[in-house]
Amino acid sequence: MKAVKGKLYFGGIHPKGAKSLSENAQTRVMPAPPTVYISLSQSLGKPAVPAVEVGATVCEGELIARADGPISSDVFSSVSGTVTEIKELTGANGAREKFIVIKNDGEGKKKYLDPLSSPSADEIKARIRDCGIVGLGGAGFPTAVKVAPRTPVDTLILNGAECEPYLTCDHRLMLENTDEIARGARYIAKALGISNIVIGIEANKPACIKAFEPYEDIKVVILRKQYPMGGEKQLIYVTTGRKVGLGKLPADSGVVVQNVSTCFAVCEAVEKGKPLYERILTVSGKGITTPSNLRVKVGTCVKDIVEFCGGEIKQIVNIVDENGNATATEKPVPPKKAIQGGPMTGVALSIYDVYTHKTTSGILLLSEDEAAAEEPTPCLNCGKCADVCPMHLMPVNTAFYANAGDFEAAAKFGNTPSCIECGACEYTCPAKRPLIQAIRATKAYLRSKASIPSGPKPVDQKGRSAPSVAPTLSGKVEKPDETQKEKNNG
Amino acid sequence: MDNSIVVSTPPHVKSRRTTRNIMLDVLIALMPCAIMGCVFFGWQALVIELISVAVCFLSEFCYYFIANKGFSQKCKDAKAVVRRFFKQFDLTSIVTGLILALVIPVTASEWWRVTYEVAIGAVFSIVIVKMVFGGTGKNIVNPAAAGRVFMFLSFTLTSFTACLIGAIDSASVDPATVSTGATSLAGVLANADYGFANPTILLKPLDLFLGTGVAGCIGETCKVAVLVGYIYLCVRKVIKWWQPLLFIGVFGICAVLLSGFAYQTYTFNIELFLPHILSGGVMFCAVFMFTDYVTSPKGVYGQLVYYIAGAVITALLRAYKGVEVVSFVILIMNLITPLIDRYCIRKPFGYIKEKKQKEGK
Repeated sequence: MKAVKGKLYFGGIHPKGAKSLSENAQTRVMPAPPTVYISLSQSLGKPAVPAVEVGATVCEGELIARADGPISSDVFSSVSGTVTEIKELTGANGAREKFIVIKNDGEGKKKYLDPLSSPSADEIKARIRDCGIVGLGGAGFPTAVKVAPRTPVDTLILNGAECEPYLTCDHRLMLENTDEIARGARYIAKALGISNIVIGIEANKPACIKAFEPYEDIKVVILRKQYPMGGEKQLIYVTTGRKVGLGKLPADSGVVVQNVSTCFAVCEAVEKGKPLYERILTVSGKGITTPSNLRVKVGTCVKDIVEFCGGEIKQIVNIVDENGNATATEKPVPPKKAIQGGPMTGVALSIYDVYTHKTTSGILLLSEDEAAAEEPTPCLNCGKCADVCPMHLMPVNTAFYANAGDFEAAAKFGNTPSCIECGACEYTCPAKRPLIQAIRATKAYLRSKASIPSGPKPVDQKGRSAPSVAPTLSGKVEKPDETQKEKNNG
Repeated sequence: MDNSIVVSTPPHVKSRRTTRNIMLDVLIALMPCAIMGCVFFGWQALVIELISVAVCFLSEFCYYFIANKGFSQKCKDAKAVVRRFFKQFDLTSIVTGLILALVIPVTASEWWRVTYEVAIGAVFSIVIVKMVFGGTGKNIVNPAAAGRVFMFLSFTLTSFTACLIGAIDSASVDPATVSTGATSLAGVLANADYGFANPTILLKPLDLFLGTGVAGCIGETCKVAVLVGYIYLCVRKVIKWWQPLLFIGVFGICAVLLSGFAYQTYTFNIELFLPHILSGGVMFCAVFMFTDYVTSPKGVYGQLVYYIAGAVITALLRAYKGVEVVSFVILIMNLITPLIDRYCIRKPFGYIKEKKQKEGK
């Protein structure tokens, strides 16, 4: 359908896109590495439980770990080979994660599910769950949960905003696999029992907008170039004009949001029976020799990816030997920052020995002039952070009270629980204050406070535990009903 | 991998704007006012500006040096203290010094008195108002406004009152001859005593706008220069464009409404709108002093309250024959800013107002 312009929302920033580095790089397939380290924590929720033993032979696409709980997802082998180890390592974000180590035998044996032709809604739902598909935008929410909403929905929104600077993987995917994305979106819409599909694409990708215009059943909405346009709540507001309430899911507003690469994965899962074990990611930044878009197996070491892209950028250095002869030699320049994910929300790496996940959308090596590493200066109270906040919060208040150690006040005066951690506030801060750090500290405090049980946990007649104590917006903690507790005890 | 790699929380890219950068923009925006001040008031104005800036800078430096034990026996490396000072120096004291000089009326006969008064006022602004509270971002009131009020209260007999008396005498005769250093505000006030019966005595809005034939403070006189500075600040997004306009607009309307009550004529003379907003320090303070980041509210709603309340108080005080109104209003509003910030918190995006349940039924 012909593209229409999206609504405006207040807030947001306009960072330098820096997408031209890798925008025109055709997606390349990276060959399978000799060893893959597949994390069991591939989605939100609990890590999966290993389904293979050490020494087992697995094929590409074979189930190696089962989901544990409703918002966990199955994990599949990304190479064919032998399981050599199951061990705990430190992940990119510093948390300990369990990894299954598979040695590649190079045979490339594949084990897919049966392809489905004209599947029913239930079949699609089952297939999405069986292929371990999670939201590939970054959060890693299992798609199987999203396609089975508890409230009736009427619209499926495809997120093609890709508002983070540097990242171009969705851009390339939308250009190269337009048809697969459209088919995947139709499968998801069928699973949901709806026909209304909207795709939101940022205005800086005119080629993608053009590519989606011929599809009669997909409404194309041009989004203003504004970060965070791809944030779920912002995207829903801009494309449909609906607001998602605080602490509510998009489904409560009758909307389901899916990333375009998730749609692509759904299409492959339904038509080829291919589980989710590889994805497209962007390797970019001024610190890498050839910025590219790569199709990479889950569990590939970042070091291998960097080497495949030509390694760190080389600089010609004159080395003077003992005799005074200068020889020009190439020397790699280490980046100022190495990032897994986008520059606004990604994780800074201290070592290259980390492994890609299903949700890894980029590897960025930022050079000295790109990476912001200035010392923070005193807060000016300018309120620019509050102006750009897409959630209309007060990060300055959060930082002020959190630095003083008063997290309750930080949550109350900064409305911290609604923060989506987009990083717009810290981007714009002229004093370079570490605002996101303060917000995360406040959130961690609220979480730890919520999880500490006061006395024995009340249990109702059916043996379920009462709803956990959750912090509310005002920072107060709702206590479980006292009368209920007594009844249960009696 | 090299050890120079930096690990931090996201975001990993940041805007190029820094505090120093913003303060440089403010300085550039102040330049037209400073230059026009020199054009109108001669080299004495330039001397006052330079003295004020230099004293502000030196007092900040000295405070930093003493506070960091640059003079103490224990200090091993005084040069390192100096280096650290210049590393963290963010031009705020220069801005304070320039604004302070621009809100001082220069009297042609006694300009040398003004210079030492300005120097004392500058030390007060920087040391007592700013540095003692913790430096940049920690001061509770605007240093320049506090310095001006301090000078007004301390040196009443020299620069300020003298101007005012001269204005009342001369303004009733011929405003064009007011050249001995009266602020144009004093001109309007002097006329106000005659109940605005004869509007021809009032200074012409065009004269007030251009600053020609009007006496006043160094930087406040030429409104064209203020306007240029305002446009520059808006283009560079240092201030929001609606903030000074809101203040000036609300102030003008209130001033017109109140003038009838204050002088018991009970007529609302719309012709007074322009003289009111163009006279005195209203425009200059609205652009450069009310918008001071440190002492104004952070949220949008808080800012609305701040500018509207400030404008209403200014109009009230001015209508009832206050002198030095705007700088006092700035201090008052600065002091209630934390209160405004506490109660004017924006509701998060997606907040749905809870419907009040009807009680009783």
